Amino acid sequence: MSVNALDLSKCDLKVGIEVHQQLATGTKLFCSCPPMKSEELPLSFERRLRPSQSELGRIDAAAVFEFNKGRVNLYRWNPESSCLVDADEEPPHPISAAALETVILISEILGARIIDEIHVMRKIVIDGSNTTGFQRTAVVGLGGSLAYGDGKSVGVQSTTVEEDAARALGEDARARQYALDRLGVPLVEIALEPIPDSPEGVERAALQLGRALRSTGRVARGLGTIRQDLNVSVKGGEVVEVKGVQKLNLIAKVVRYEATRQMGLLQVAAEAKNRSPNGVSSRVKDVTETLKTPASPVLKKVVQRDGARIFCASADALAGLLGFEPYPGIRVGKELGEIARTNGLGGVIHSDEFRKQGVTEAEDSALRAQMGVGKDAALVLVAGEEGRASTVAVLVKERLEAVPRGVLRETRAATEDGETRFLRPRPGAARMYPETDIPDIVVSPELVARMGLSLPVPWEQKVRSYSEKYSLSGEMAVQLYDSDKADLFENLAAKSKLDSSVIASILVELPARLAREGVEEMSIDGSLLSSVVLGLDRGLFAKEGAYDVLRTLGKGEVKTVEDAVSRLGIASMDDVEVERIVSEVVERNHTLVAERGERAFSVLMGEAMKLARGKADGGKVSAMIRRKMQEAGSPKQGDGGSA
Amino acid sequence: MGDLEGYRGQSLTALEAAGVSIGDFLSLEVDGQSVMGTLAPRYAHDDDSHIVIKLKSGYNVGLSVAKVTKVSRLAKGERPSFTSSNPKTRGDLLEVAILGTGGTIASRVEYRTGAVQPAISSEDLYSLIPELSDIARIRTEVILTVASEDLEPEHWGKMAEKVAERVAEGARGVVVTTGTDVMGYTSAALAFALQGVPVPVFVVGSQRSSDRPSSDAYLNLIGAVTLAVAAEFAGVYLVMHADSSDELLAIHRATRVRKNHASARDAFESIGIPPEGYWTRKGPELISKSLPPRARAEKFVPKPLFDPNVALVKFYPSMPTSLLEAQLASGLKGLIIEGTGLGHVNRKNIAVIQRFIAGGGLAFMTSQCIWGRVDLNVYANGRDLLQAGVVPLEDMLAETALVKLMWTISNTASAKEAEGLMRKNLAGEVTERSFPSGQTA
Repeated sequence: MSVNALDLSKCDLKVGIEVHQQLATGTKLFCSCPPMKSEELPLSFERRLRPSQSELGRIDAAAVFEFNKGRVNLYRWNPESSCLVDADEEPPHPISAAALETVILISEILGARIIDEIHVMRKIVIDGSNTTGFQRTAVVGLGGSLAYGDGKSVGVQSTTVEEDAARALGEDARARQYALDRLGVPLVEIALEPIPDSPEGVERAALQLGRALRSTGRVARGLGTIRQDLNVSVKGGEVVEVKGVQKLNLIAKVVRYEATRQMGLLQVAAEAKNRSPNGVSSRVKDVTETLKTPASPVLKKVVQRDGARIFCASADALAGLLGFEPYPGIRVGKELGEIARTNGLGGVIHSDEFRKQGVTEAEDSALRAQMGVGKDAALVLVAGEEGRASTVAVLVKERLEAVPRGVLRETRAATEDGETRFLRPRPGAARMYPETDIPDIVVSPELVARMGLSLPVPWEQKVRSYSEKYSLSGEMAVQLYDSDKADLFENLAAKSKLDSSVIASILVELPARLAREGVEEMSIDGSLLSSVVLGLDRGLFAKEGAYDVLRTLGKGEVKTVEDAVSRLGIASMDDVEVERIVSEVVERNHTLVAERGERAFSVLMGEAMKLARGKADGGKVSAMIRRKMQEAGSPKQGDGGSA
Repeated sequence: MGDLEGYRGQSLTALEAAGVSIGDFLSLEVDGQSVMGTLAPRYAHDDDSHIVIKLKSGYNVGLSVAKVTKVSRLAKGERPSFTSSNPKTRGDLLEVAILGTGGTIASRVEYRTGAVQPAISSEDLYSLIPELSDIARIRTEVILTVASEDLEPEHWGKMAEKVAERVAEGARGVVVTTGTDVMGYTSAALAFALQGVPVPVFVVGSQRSSDRPSSDAYLNLIGAVTLAVAAEFAGVYLVMHADSSDELLAIHRATRVRKNHASARDAFESIGIPPEGYWTRKGPELISKSLPPRARAEKFVPKPLFDPNVALVKFYPSMPTSLLEAQLASGLKGLIIEGTGLGHVNRKNIAVIQRFIAGGGLAFMTSQCIWGRVDLNVYANGRDLLQAGVVPLEDMLAETALVKLMWTISNTASAKEAEGLMRKNLAGEVTERSFPSGQTA
């Protein structure tokens, strides 16, 4: 994609990272429920959250936005994983000591100053993901720093302990659904200072931070247990919060997309200001009568429904700017569509795509006449159930008026393909107040000292030790660390006579390859891997067969390594059989050997391994081929192809 | 908010020495580093050795005074104040009176320092619950600021008088907001003091504090105000969540309702009868067919007096006689006993009760089983109690019996008359027929 055409080094790109990592404690943060995922959610209740008002009669913009969506929250739960605390029917119990200790430990690893008296706060979140309408959170450490390679380091702003939100199950026009199993699971949140680095540098910092967290051995593993939020800004714009990047290797892509989006919007803003220096004026009207029998198939479908209306928002001077793409895929029209979708509509139709959407010339003129605007204005049509459509039309109007501002303060969500989409306006800072149900927690100097003594071996040191002790390549040692199978590796290396790199490769590379093939990582656990390694060690099959053995076991086709080997028909060949195959291959290719000499080796090797079908050890085969080639009488060097 | 609210001892000394106030933006030197933020208030029960700073991120952190080497003010804070948007009052709507009695039905949060303040003026309620301005003209008054558990019988009298005042002034209905802990007692007290009230009176509260977006206060209040306008019936009722969801409220008879959960939204239950009806988003749905209709207001006179010289004693195995003896020696006029099962106490205490009655005291029996009816004829123990002069109160709730006795003593001239009134069903406090839980005739 040519989004790369944008030179990010000139954008003054700054990215702050907030990492949220679930802790591996036996209970939730403020009750004794076990952190676990419930497959069945037999119980439910419905709630409506209301923004609480702050001083000066102000209510947080983000809170009002959520409230205006008017949807109820449907919570589904199972007593195996939740209780009345999660249902906001009982006050929180005292904070989990194990979680607090872990976060103190993590703060100390990062070199933070531990807070003397910890205050649990209520952070207002009224999208429904917390039954209370707030998230309980407390700063445990302030300051510190994180080294992230190449001599670079970034400051740590704060380390907090907080409760995870409820698990979103989806939403429709009436209700948002959440599962309570994840609500209240303890998280550590680490906020890094803005990093003035490339998207790849930012990704590396997040990666190193994750490794440091895992060095404690006290954090949860698996998909969804770590989430990254990014605060992205470019020169001349606002800070945009991008929530929920679940995969580390998406960070650079998301940062690149978001920075490009922001630079694009700034470009559109400059043009809008150029055309209309005194701002963009916009209005909304109900145009249902004007478009009684719309030509556009999309509109036709919507107006057929009962109670549906069409609203039009106009914006002077913006004709042509809604569909304009300063960079591929970046345009104001897309932003308007996101607002509609966030509020339960399918999208909008704007005047730059009227023809494409089937809105006729005549309809265009009639709309402009009704709106009282000329050809220079942009029009945006919003259609749907009256209440919802009129709300969205007003939001679209506000968005159009904000075009000259370029980048808006908003919270966006990272998508799975590395883009970002609008969620809500960004909340102001002023949305926290004390959780009066939990007394302040005085941290004893003894606890700080005790945690200081139990700091884990830094992960870099662990990686170095694998690499030195087992002669693994640096890359393999890091992969081994990241895979969490280092202990299993050390155990197997001690038990077997196999080469360490062979063991490491089976533990780390094969599961990754299988995952790409769609075999779930979950099904390939430690005991399965160790049975494969030990089977190889016992000579049940050749190392070339390890992948197939693991796949057969991982898919659940057989129960034991022996069964896998016999099913695959790859029991190790004895030397006589190997020699027979090699002789046959060398003989068949004797002309080639005569012509090319040493250079014929790879062809022979390939044919021999194919015949052996994973039953023979490659090292053994290659040694035998070389011996046979020599016996066949290696011709003189330089002979053959040089003429 | 005071200048250094909640601070005491060494932390107060340090802050006073620095000449700073709550709300000021400060820089504190700690171990050679500076921590900057707004000075936040401290709460009762907090110790005297920490200073609380609200960081720019909104988080509060407590710093040990012993480690703070310097406090300097970077900016003077403005005193936090609340302003309300001007509510639109619609002249075409009926007036509903809301009486605040101490429970916090609505609050506002002052995020700069983190303080939570109650909001009860009409303006406050309109701006927090804008829907109200489309339901009724609200007239609010805070008549008491007493924590639920500190309520005294005289406070019930005051509530009853205020309700009567509002009724006389033409209120379509009255909503009394109060703390939930003794709300069952309060609603029963109002039911006795306001017998024959010509409009509906709804007692409401909230189980989850009103400073949280999930509070049940909003729906309870909206429901009560809507009912005050729409209900075609009169009388006193307690209105609270019917279940955990924000969709359905139960309208409980004031004398047969009990708080049966410490914290859940649906803590209040009608005992031995179903609720009189429900509030739904579509309007009231009544179950009872015999609620008194609205009446003209002119003739209504409340009876707001309660005599506090009454005790409620729960019998337990091994209860010594000294407990009752001490109670009775304190000049008590009446006694409600929560006996076991059908209404029993141990033999040695029967003798004490007998002496009390012989001396002119009134003693009544209720059951600690909550559900069911006392019967002193089944076992010898019960017959002894009857012989001693104890009066069984059928299936009256013990809490209701206590409140009724306070009211009865104040409104009768003799013990005999009082006993007669206690046996009489005045405000639906006794049912004649018993059904399995949730069933009705």
